Amino acid sequence: MSEVMVITSGKGGVGKTTTTANIGTGLALLGYSVVMIDTDIGLRNLDVVMGLENRIIYNLVDVVEGNCRMKQALIRDKRCANLYLLPSAQTRDKSSVNPGQMKKLVDDLREEFDYILLDCPAGIEQGFQNAIAGADRALVVTTPEVSAIRDADRIIGLLEAAGMETIDLIVNRIRMDMVRRGDMMSVEDVADILAVNMIGAVPDDEDIVISTNQGEPLVDTETLAGQAYLNICKRITGEAVPFLDLEQHKGILIHISRFLKRA
Amino acid sequence: MRQRFCFQKGNSGEIARSRLKLLLVSDKARLSPGLIDLIRSDMICVLSRYAEVDSGQLDIRLTRMETAGAKEPTPALSATFPLRQFTAKRNEECF
Repeated sequence: MSEVMVITSGKGGVGKTTTTANIGTGLALLGYSVVMIDTDIGLRNLDVVMGLENRIIYNLVDVVEGNCRMKQALIRDKRCANLYLLPSAQTRDKSSVNPGQMKKLVDDLREEFDYILLDCPAGIEQGFQNAIAGADRALVVTTPEVSAIRDADRIIGLLEAAGMETIDLIVNRIRMDMVRRGDMMSVEDVADILAVNMIGAVPDDEDIVISTNQGEPLVDTETLAGQAYLNICKRITGEAVPFLDLEQHKGILIHISRFLKRA
Repeated sequence: MRQRFCFQKGNSGEIARSRLKLLLVSDKARLSPGLIDLIRSDMICVLSRYAEVDSGQLDIRLTRMETAGAKEPTPALSATFPLRQFTAKRNEECF
């Protein structure tokens, strides 16, 4: 049975695209067949985060308008043979596609894929309406900042109003050093405020920047963020995985400095 | 667990820079990067009617050039095809 998941946030720049790339890759590494759809028409980015920008010939709007067949537009990932990307159009605007067309496109893909991930644009206008139209469940990405949480709350309200049954929360860019000294809301604080199921937290990690620079998702690599993403993927598939201790791996220097502070 | 992907810390900024250069040129030209690959294979096809093309060595890229009459530089396709040997007559195999 296939599942269609929209990754959304309301606010821009909180990590929707990075999250989509890592969850898509992670689910593929777990053996599922996955397609990721970039629904941000006019501002496509998922292709770059995946490092697939040089393979684009056709895009989402071409498929909807019948300029090509779905198979021609799907780009197979560099590493995972069971992972595909349907890129967005860069030179069109959001009104090129309507929710009905998106729903049909997504439903056509259900036959072939276990997971269909929709990378949603920022905002609550037509791009958002398009992205959620065919989705069974939503992953709301937020960061521990007031503006991002406020927008996430608004998005959750809109998703509920649209009848979305499953809504899970990812708290991104957590900095444990700041949480510890009381200068950042904890993951639990954020989850409490938004009152939806927390499916995982991802640390603010410089490895993410490196991974984006290279166009290679870091899920399942020996990085804390990579492990956090893999755990989220497992929870998506229904596996019960304990939450990562985001302070581990921090290295001996942290422990020494903490010890010195205490002394 | 996967090995740390080609994780060469210290040079990923440079990788980002060169990827972006290509990306912005193709964005401005409104040409999908993948289409350049199609043009490349079509050109190899045409050229191999007349010569033996060293396809491993060829270099094709989208650049920008000043043209008379245009205020902004216009997109240009720059290609270098190393040819091993010209064939004596037109090869009809291609197409």
